[in-house]
Amino acid sequence: MLTRLEGVRIIDPAHRAGGAVRDLYFRDRTIVAAPRDDEPVDRTWDCRGMIAMAGAIDLHTHIGGGKVNLARALLPEFAAAAPVPATDRCAPCTAGPAPSALATGYRYAAMGYTACFEPAMLPVNARQAHFEMGDTPIVDKGAYALLGNDDFLLRLLAGGAERQEIADYVGWTLHATQAMAIKVVNAGGISAFKFNQRSLDVDEAHVHYGITPRRVIAALARAVHDLGVPHPLHVHCSNLGVPGNVDSTLATIEAAEGLPIHLTHLQFHSYGSEGDRKFSSAAARVAEVVNASPHVTVDVGQIMFGQTVTCSGDSMMQHRNARHGRPPKWIVMDIECDAGCGVVPFRYRDRDFVNALQWAIGLELFLLVEDPWRIFLTTDHPNGGPFWSYPHLIKLLMDRSFRNDVLARIHPDAAALSNLRSITREYTLDEIATMTRAAPAQILGLTDRGHLGVGAAADIVVYEPHPDPEVMFAAPRHVFKDGVLVAERGEIRAVTRGSLHTVKPDFDRGIERKLEPWFARYQTQSMHSFVIGDDEVCECGHSARLIAHRCVRHG
Amino acid sequence: MSPARTTTCPFCGLLCDDLEVDPADAKRAPRNACARGRDAYESLAAVDGPPQVAGRAVGLDAALDAAAALLRPLRRPLIGGLDVDIAGMRAILALARHLGAVVDHVSAAKQRNLRALQEFGAITTTFSEVRNRADLLLLVGDGWHRRFPRFIERIVAVDSDLFGPPSRRRIVTLNPIGRDTKAALPQDALHLALDVVPEQLPVLIGMLTAMVDDRPVDPRRSGAVAPALLERCVAWMREARYGVVVWTAADLEGSHAELTVQAITRCIRVLNGATRFAAMPLAGTDGDLTANAVQTWQSGVGLPACYGDGRVVADPERFASPAVLARGEADALIWVSSLGQAAIPAFDAGPTIVFGRADRVFDRSPDVFVPVATPGVDAAGHLVRGDKVVTLRLPAVRASDRPSVATALRGLLDRLGPPC
Ligand code: SF4
Ligand SMILES: [Zn+2]
Repeated sequence: MLTRLEGVRIIDPAHRAGGAVRDLYFRDRTIVAAPRDDEPVDRTWDCRGMIAMAGAIDLHTHIGGGKVNLARALLPEFAAAAPVPATDRCAPCTAGPAPSALATGYRYAAMGYTACFEPAMLPVNARQAHFEMGDTPIVDKGAYALLGNDDFLLRLLAGGAERQEIADYVGWTLHATQAMAIKVVNAGGISAFKFNQRSLDVDEAHVHYGITPRRVIAALARAVHDLGVPHPLHVHCSNLGVPGNVDSTLATIEAAEGLPIHLTHLQFHSYGSEGDRKFSSAAARVAEVVNASPHVTVDVGQIMFGQTVTCSGDSMMQHRNARHGRPPKWIVMDIECDAGCGVVPFRYRDRDFVNALQWAIGLELFLLVEDPWRIFLTTDHPNGGPFWSYPHLIKLLMDRSFRNDVLARIHPDAAALSNLRSITREYTLDEIATMTRAAPAQILGLTDRGHLGVGAAADIVVYEPHPDPEVMFAAPRHVFKDGVLVAERGEIRAVTRGSLHTVKPDFDRGIERKLEPWFARYQTQSMHSFVIGDDEVCECGHSARLIAHRCVRHG
Repeated sequence: MSPARTTTCPFCGLLCDDLEVDPADAKRAPRNACARGRDAYESLAAVDGPPQVAGRAVGLDAALDAAAALLRPLRRPLIGGLDVDIAGMRAILALARHLGAVVDHVSAAKQRNLRALQEFGAITTTFSEVRNRADLLLLVGDGWHRRFPRFIERIVAVDSDLFGPPSRRRIVTLNPIGRDTKAALPQDALHLALDVVPEQLPVLIGMLTAMVDDRPVDPRRSGAVAPALLERCVAWMREARYGVVVWTAADLEGSHAELTVQAITRCIRVLNGATRFAAMPLAGTDGDLTANAVQTWQSGVGLPACYGDGRVVADPERFASPAVLARGEADALIWVSSLGQAAIPAFDAGPTIVFGRADRVFDRSPDVFVPVATPGVDAAGHLVRGDKVVTLRLPAVRASDRPSVATALRGLLDRLGPPC
């Protein structure tokens, strides 16, 4: 079936098409060139006066896996207060601070998002993550496997393993867990917490293994690069939330030794320790380094005022920060010689000095990092706030006077300490499209997403322009997912199943000669039980399509 | 002869994955299964009955037709059992949404863990951490060996050298008086027995917490436990590098159950001020964790829940199946159960439709009985293991024509047509 979007303004930064008006065609699930004159068009949508962008991509959003489900279980009172009633298309569910998988899919799609990436899949919990993602309708999914606190890797490193062997283990993990990328959370720190270490700086030694986070990050960045995984090592730095953590953040950038690295929820890692309250913004310092380091990409993890829940693999820091949580109940878990997790609810308040400054720091980062191809729009959902606050966040970036109005309402000391008021930058539509579509697709290696060129997937969002960007981005006029109209003006029109994105790098299977006895001796499942096959992972997603992206090996 | 295939046992939350299927006779219970597992495998191998309508043998299609005809006019069925695999639970929820049904899992025990969790949170750990790291175990009650037969063998009686030469584990049992569990412990463990009446557990654990915290306690409150034993236990807790408190919620009964879990939770929080300690609430048997997990991720709320009126509302009191039945709110009982053999509640207010294990026996024939495959035996399936984190795929060990729960319920849903 051939479809035409007639007379639409194209915002497509990947092709530098900033505002040309033309017809856009797609056949079935793929964008195609304008047909010959005699070729019949099956369906034409009058999009004159409207704007088309590729479907948006969230490269860091906690949508599935054990800790998200723990967060749901921990907070029934908020779920009960946020019912999502059934419609003729949608099943009833709820959307509390940790929304249900169903609500997650519906709301992302209604907002014009067509792909979401779960950034913290614990290898031992990968099946559950795939089941949850499989029950998240409409959008495409993918997940990053967590390494860097697993005893297998830490032992390899402590034993001085060869670069090749580490790459084989990382490659094996990507296959076995059906992952898209590798993430490291508080490198070595989650493991160190199990040994009763309560903090771990970038150059501090793990009490048992004697290795430093710097070493872990260098090794993993190298392995990911060697395997040719498109997405660079995705890093949650050491010392999350600690005043003065800017130093460990900058040390982490150094630790990658010039190899590509992605720093996630940078807001939580850009804190100074100046001033009377020993808490200050270090956004300018961080932004300066990021601007000067072309191998670094970041996402922000903006906080939004209101109730939310933080779900993190970082058991060490979650345990430490738990006393600030509201309501005062929280979960910390040590997990399978593999990882850990912590779930702590938070209520961010604009009249609270720390929260207000966190809010300002996030915006400073957005505005001071210059290249929209290297900074991505996230709230680290749900940790900084729910993903459905993105339209509001976009407005904060695009509208300086609105931003300054909010700034005037937050805790005055925080406002005074931030240089936000002096920043005049306003994001353009083109820049928003870059940071929410083109750039995440590029950094993930999704060659047929994030743009509107011929051959791209027909993941297309059509917006009605509105003077208020929040209104425009909250409920696009049409959302097409793989060519199917899935949402209009915020209402779901069709519930489809998205695909699962993975990578399948080459590696030497000989690593299994070490892994098999490792599982037998120290784990409580066999290696055979651990591995998730292609058929199995498709079953998790109700016969979802599996898209394996190409890896081009280096070194 | 082909080599022995390994498989995973579905009959308690441990999901032992080291079972070996006899290649010559798939009907024999796999090797390494405990008595509990063996009994279940053998019982399932011994029967092969067809579906029934009102006690008469029929084909699967006829049984599903009859079930659909009975359910079509009804408004508020109760779907109970729920001891099924992930695919089965997904199908149950699809059916519940279609029918506007109440759903509740057969084992209410889990609620005791869950309620304490929802009030305070928890610090917990998983099997492999216990196996390699725990130098002190506090075993509460005796469910850890009665209900999880290979827990000690697979998790505790293992000398792990992962973090250095293995040291002798210290084990404290907080035993119900009169039930000696010593024989179940690893022989070389250092053992301290604190025998208590279950009602006294919250007080005793509270005293231990206070002593760890250097707060004064009244020694007269320790009941049958000698103060010197308490002192010794506290010393062990302080010396532990990684202590773990193990219990099974299914074991704790009465009003002290929730209080016990709360007391353990508080104690562990205090201990983590100085050292590392974590909880290990053993569960997962009869798919309790599986059913709750699927319901929670799909809907955002737990079990039991009601899918009436185009909404989903969870309420542990209001929608608990005994309460729903007592109030006469259900107009049909649909029992879906592929793992266990728990009794089906008596129900007279409408039809009873059972999707159950093939070896289920009835006092009174239900209106419809569809024997379904058991995941890990005659169908493949996925279950959540007892420590909540690991989900395992259970391959089928033998061929069978019994439908899986998911297949049977999809057949029923197809027949019910679009929702009214
Ligand atoms: S301990 Fe449990 S899982 Fe293991 S064999 Fe026995 S019943 Fe099966
Ligand atoms: Zn995150």
